[in-house]
Amino acid sequence: MSVTTNVADKLMTLPESSAVALQIRAEHYFDAIRGILDNFAIKKELDSIYITSTIPSQSIINALQVLEVDMSNIFFVDCISQIMMSTSSKHEHTIYVESPTMLENLMLKVEYLTKRTQGRNDIVILDSINSLAIHNNTKILSEFLHLLVNNLRAKKAYTVIFSMEEYRSEDISNMLNIVVDETIIAAGE
Amino acid sequence: MAPKVNLSTSVRERCVTGIQGLDNALDGGIPRGNTILVTGSCGTGKTTLSLEFLVHGALDDETCLFISVTESSEKLLNNIIPYDFFEESLIKKGKLIFVDMPVVYEKLGLDKLEFQLEEVDVLVRAIADIVKEMDVKRLVIDSITSVCYRLRTQEKIRDFILKIGATLSSLGCTSILVSEISPVEERYSLFGVEEAIADGIIFMGNLERRGDLLRTLQVVKMRGTQHSRTKYVLDLTSAGVLLVPLLKGGSVAGG
Repeated sequence: MSVTTNVADKLMTLPESSAVALQIRAEHYFDAIRGILDNFAIKKELDSIYITSTIPSQSIINALQVLEVDMSNIFFVDCISQIMMSTSSKHEHTIYVESPTMLENLMLKVEYLTKRTQGRNDIVILDSINSLAIHNNTKILSEFLHLLVNNLRAKKAYTVIFSMEEYRSEDISNMLNIVVDETIIAAGE
Repeated sequence: MAPKVNLSTSVRERCVTGIQGLDNALDGGIPRGNTILVTGSCGTGKTTLSLEFLVHGALDDETCLFISVTESSEKLLNNIIPYDFFEESLIKKGKLIFVDMPVVYEKLGLDKLEFQLEEVDVLVRAIADIVKEMDVKRLVIDSITSVCYRLRTQEKIRDFILKIGATLSSLGCTSILVSEISPVEERYSLFGVEEAIADGIIFMGNLERRGDLLRTLQVVKMRGTQHSRTKYVLDLTSAGVLLVPLLKGGSVAGG
């Protein structure tokens, strides 16, 4: 079974309002994204809100377009492009946050998008806890995760938090353990 | 059988602002009839928040009045965020009314740079007449600071705010007085009088944290209701003003 199918199948078993940590290796990164957005969210008729602090949203959008993923219900909150002074054109489904340290603004943009997409349930993907940990200390990041996940649970949204296996640390594991219901390991069989 | 425990307190009728985060912070909304000060330095979102308060009222079929002191209402309307929930028909139907204060001054013959106590009375009566005649339920004066510049003395400012507050309250009108302060001000109003007299104070500010500038909001005082006193970060969006609590993990001075 491919990583894409494996991730989607595992998500399918979860009830709404679930929060999961998705442990992935860099080599499986785009397969996992495809599993969530294409195989899971589209089948469940969810709106996807993708928070990216790892790579610019445009890079993910380019990859999704190559994979011919339907983008009509996928929205991005990008907090890395502006800090990189990226000059690439702005996508109509992307909202930019100036810096990954503006965690409240990430929550506000997610709130805004959930308001705009009322009527359908949401899945919020946080990519990734490791890149946010580069810019924020553990205390504020834990507080952010706690508020974000509980707020999304109240809205019956799914939350998927990417955790890159190559950058695992005890602090990050502890942070995730407090807020998630389950950890999914993205791997093929 | 053990007696039932009732934790609810008697609740004054609320004027629901329609700004979800603010209504939560105010335990349901502004107590109806209160006159509150929305205060902060420039660019903190005072006018946007006040306008949204009126738009939600108008959508709820209440007559709402915006008295613009510092800029013409035409310019103001051109610069407001195009709300998803805004309907042009609210203005046409007379549910959302804009009045320019300089026009009021002109009609009342108040052309002096400094008003006397009698002229304060004339101004309060004129505003009360508009409120009464149009059955206004929500009023914003943007900004009260500009009016206070013409009053000059603390005595006249106190007199004006006390009278306008009492009059509007007796008419069942919930009012926001927008107050401008400089970014370094350590009080909530320029003249120091407004804050003591108002029924409530909502303080809007800019918080710099490690080079990031965050817009913040804090309910400092609100008579007639329990309220949150925590600091929130806000965003001005086409879906309205959105609030989330300020994260305290990386606590900083002034944060």
